[in-house]
Amino acid sequence: MSSVAPAMRHVRGFDVARPLSIGVLVFLMLPLVFLPLASIFIFGTSNGLDKFWAALTAPEAIFALKLSMATSFWATVFNVIFGLFAAYVLSRYNFWGRNALIVTISLPTAIPTAVAGFALLLLWGPYGTLGRLLTPHGFQIMFTAGAIILANIFVTFPLAFGVIKPVFDTMSHSLEEASATIGATRWQTFWHVTLPSLRGAIVSGALLTFARAVGEFGSTILVSGNLAGRTQTAPLYIFAKFNEGQIEAANAIAIVLALFSFLIFSVLFFARDWLDVD
Amino acid sequence: MKAKETLIPKREEPEPTRPTAAASVVGLSKRFGKASILENISFDVAEGEVLVLLGASGSGKTTILRIIAGLEMPYTGKVILHGRDVTELPARERGVGVIFQSYALFPKMTVEKNIGYGLRIRKRKRKQIRETVNELLSLVQLEEHRKKYPSQLSGGQQQRVAIARTLAYKPEVLLFDEPFGALDTQTRVHLRREIRALLKKVNVPSIFITHDQEEALELGDRVAVLNVGHIEQIGTPFEIYNYPATEYVATFLGAANVLEAVVRKDFLEVGSARIPATLDQEKFREGDCVNIVFRPEDVSLSRGDLPRSTHPRLSSARIEEIAFVGAYERLRLRVDASDECNTDETPFYLTTETPDRKPTKSIIATRPKPEASSIRLHVGEKVSVALTSFTVLPKKGTKG
Amino acid sequence: MRKTISRNLPFLGLTTLILALLGGSCLPKSPGERGDVTITLYGFSVMKESLEKAIFPNFAAKWKQQHGQVLSFQSSFAGSETVTNQILRGAPADIAILSIERDVQRLQKDGFVTADWHSLPAHGIVNKTPFVIIVRKGNPKGIKDFSDLARPGIRLIHPDPISSGGAQWSILAIYGSELKKSEKERGEADAGRALQTLRAIWRNVISTPGSAREARTTFELGNGDALITYELEGLLMKEANDPVEIVTPQATIFSEHPAVVIDRNVTSAERPVIDAFMQYLWSDEAQQAFVKFHFYSSTNDAFNQANTAFGHIELPFTIDYFHGWDKAYPEVIEKIFRDQVQRK
Repeated sequence: MSSVAPAMRHVRGFDVARPLSIGVLVFLMLPLVFLPLASIFIFGTSNGLDKFWAALTAPEAIFALKLSMATSFWATVFNVIFGLFAAYVLSRYNFWGRNALIVTISLPTAIPTAVAGFALLLLWGPYGTLGRLLTPHGFQIMFTAGAIILANIFVTFPLAFGVIKPVFDTMSHSLEEASATIGATRWQTFWHVTLPSLRGAIVSGALLTFARAVGEFGSTILVSGNLAGRTQTAPLYIFAKFNEGQIEAANAIAIVLALFSFLIFSVLFFARDWLDVD
Repeated sequence: MKAKETLIPKREEPEPTRPTAAASVVGLSKRFGKASILENISFDVAEGEVLVLLGASGSGKTTILRIIAGLEMPYTGKVILHGRDVTELPARERGVGVIFQSYALFPKMTVEKNIGYGLRIRKRKRKQIRETVNELLSLVQLEEHRKKYPSQLSGGQQQRVAIARTLAYKPEVLLFDEPFGALDTQTRVHLRREIRALLKKVNVPSIFITHDQEEALELGDRVAVLNVGHIEQIGTPFEIYNYPATEYVATFLGAANVLEAVVRKDFLEVGSARIPATLDQEKFREGDCVNIVFRPEDVSLSRGDLPRSTHPRLSSARIEEIAFVGAYERLRLRVDASDECNTDETPFYLTTETPDRKPTKSIIATRPKPEASSIRLHVGEKVSVALTSFTVLPKKGTKG
Repeated sequence: MRKTISRNLPFLGLTTLILALLGGSCLPKSPGERGDVTITLYGFSVMKESLEKAIFPNFAAKWKQQHGQVLSFQSSFAGSETVTNQILRGAPADIAILSIERDVQRLQKDGFVTADWHSLPAHGIVNKTPFVIIVRKGNPKGIKDFSDLARPGIRLIHPDPISSGGAQWSILAIYGSELKKSEKERGEADAGRALQTLRAIWRNVISTPGSAREARTTFELGNGDALITYELEGLLMKEANDPVEIVTPQATIFSEHPAVVIDRNVTSAERPVIDAFMQYLWSDEAQQAFVKFHFYSSTNDAFNQANTAFGHIELPFTIDYFHGWDKAYPEVIEKIFRDQVQRK
């Protein structure tokens, strides 16, 4: 008979792993995420709210914000419609080269945005392969807001598609078959049955695309010409102000963008039940 | 119970006074590459009739349903609904009502919106839609759930919505794709009775597909048994159960014992027994080797060598196993019979002392509870086996 | 009731968000007066203040007075090489003010500049400034000249020579200064010592931002002990009360900044106003304005007296010391710096 009872670890009511894990998580996120975000807010208002407000209401700043909103909006509209269409075709039909197409659509995320912008310039710029044919006729999209929309479309291409396609893939065919047997035309089925089931994916895909487009920098700076008050988006504005040494101005807009992204993702989070496909 | 002395296998010929079919398929076939999925499928469904397509997985029953619905195209053959050849028409022009296995209710629409869908896309007036929806809701007894979404309903309720949804646009025929598959046994049994009552009430011809033979027998006015793409037999549940046309039908519909027999003049030689039978001369000739098929409940047992009743005696048997299965008792018995036909003209005699070199076979018999309780039997006991009913089938490979 | 609200809240939130986004979907109008004529000027990074605050408004006022037309200016600033690359790719510049002559040559090579820009006043050089060292207030590291930057432990901010013209000037300043000093001390230029110093200094570089202006901002944010840049930057920093000091080296180079018309992008209708603007750059008014913004005038040394903040340079030199950019670029920037300093 052993005189020394072996030590046994009892797991009673208190499990130390729980607070420990949560603590480690928060601790890791502090320097990586929380503090950088907080520093933008702290620094932006540290010089006085009046300076902050002045920076915010500068006409070029407001222009930059509006331009970002507008260009991102149109890029989003295009990519959501295209994403819907592409997801439908690539999910429903099987054909030679289908997988290659799917991979190609997803490529833009792997390409550095500066490369994307540069490629667009090489193609559509005034001396670009295709651009040089259009310029004599007065069509030149580079260095205009249109170029920003084009660059945004390229860079955010796979986002809405990537959210919508899985929904198509897992969508039961029998829903559409049921609708057909009930007597609906293809279009009626799409409108009444398919689209409502995609509602959540469309909205979250759109918001994702929009948020990403607003923050786009690498390609925009190349194709827009970065002309303040003409083609300078919010991220470009921040960068320009930083370069000029006007840190407060840069910060003010940075805060606006950060708040805006925060808003978008909060809405996405809280509305996720509504957005989920049943 | 008097045994039937003459047993003639029934054919699946249409009765001469049969009314014009509400729906029929003629000569359907379908291939997948070189493999043949369906071969020469033809049947009718009469007005107000419930026809069940019964078969195992891969028998092609789902394919038939989808072809009738218009979701798949046949290789050859025709689909005719109320006299209209719809083979070339797409699903939405056929006017069929399909109840899918998963019910396929539109998840983002309420119950009433689901039911009214068919009318909405036909651009009916709002008033008419409302009235029809109300009617149907009371028919399937779901009025209080009208504003709910499919995810909030039970399986049985969803199914009723699916049915109501098709009835809204007065379909020519209702097609049910294994509708009870996702439900537990109790609900199943309960529901199929309800559905059958409902179908009889609305009087729309219906085709069910299922792999559950009990379901098929309870649901269908007639049942078609499918085996790997072709129809083995179509008949009423009574007919196919008691007079199976092939061994496949016999064994699919329930437990069946199959024994070898030789056709003689006026009787069948089964092992050492002679069972009186008058057979269709055109199908069976003297000397032919045939199968006799009988169900466990067709077996009558008595102690000792003497038969208990006037039923033809099959053999002596030794009880190998007894199992108590609630409502009845199941026994496994070893009888004198064989798998090979004894073509020797001379019958041989058996006594209980005859050594086991004689061919024997196991059969399954069941005894209802009252009988099992009153006459108790034990393993190893010797009993006398008689048949209350049986069917004669030609040997596999040759069909009548 | 509560259930209805909480159930519909996400939907409402989404709808509001989407409507708000829809509202912002129209492309905005650019602020500021839309002129009858627009001049687009792309310039290297440190030109921004002088142009936007003085040159543009003054010229626009003059033009309106004389011709009744409203002028508006569009401008974009970045490192000199970057600006050149943008123009080569088709950026719609009418005029470019660059940091190094080599960039003008690149534009010429591809046919963007066709006129002989040397025929412009002052050889096409619009202003100049010497290269100095910026240190923290109080000069805690005791830096007095370029060679001090070679000391171990000094952290230097230096723009990237690939994108910044100012970076190239800086390299020439360091290298030339050593040559000049050894020439003075021993009678002949010591290339070996110059190379050593350059190497040692480059080892201390902790960050290479894309333009001179970016380098300044990096330094202002507290990075590094020293910054080599245009003197005018240092003076602008002091004007803004930054806690810095300017260390004027014994020998240093004067950077000279060319201004050119991008002939390819200018239509004949725009030509008159463009030419007028170019001429204006060398007018007394403009040159004095440049001096106010701490540039040296390229036309009249007398103007430089007006700026008392300029440092005194004992041994100044220009690109001519290297026999022009045609020699300086391949021999110093490429052969010496790129091949022997950067790559080691």
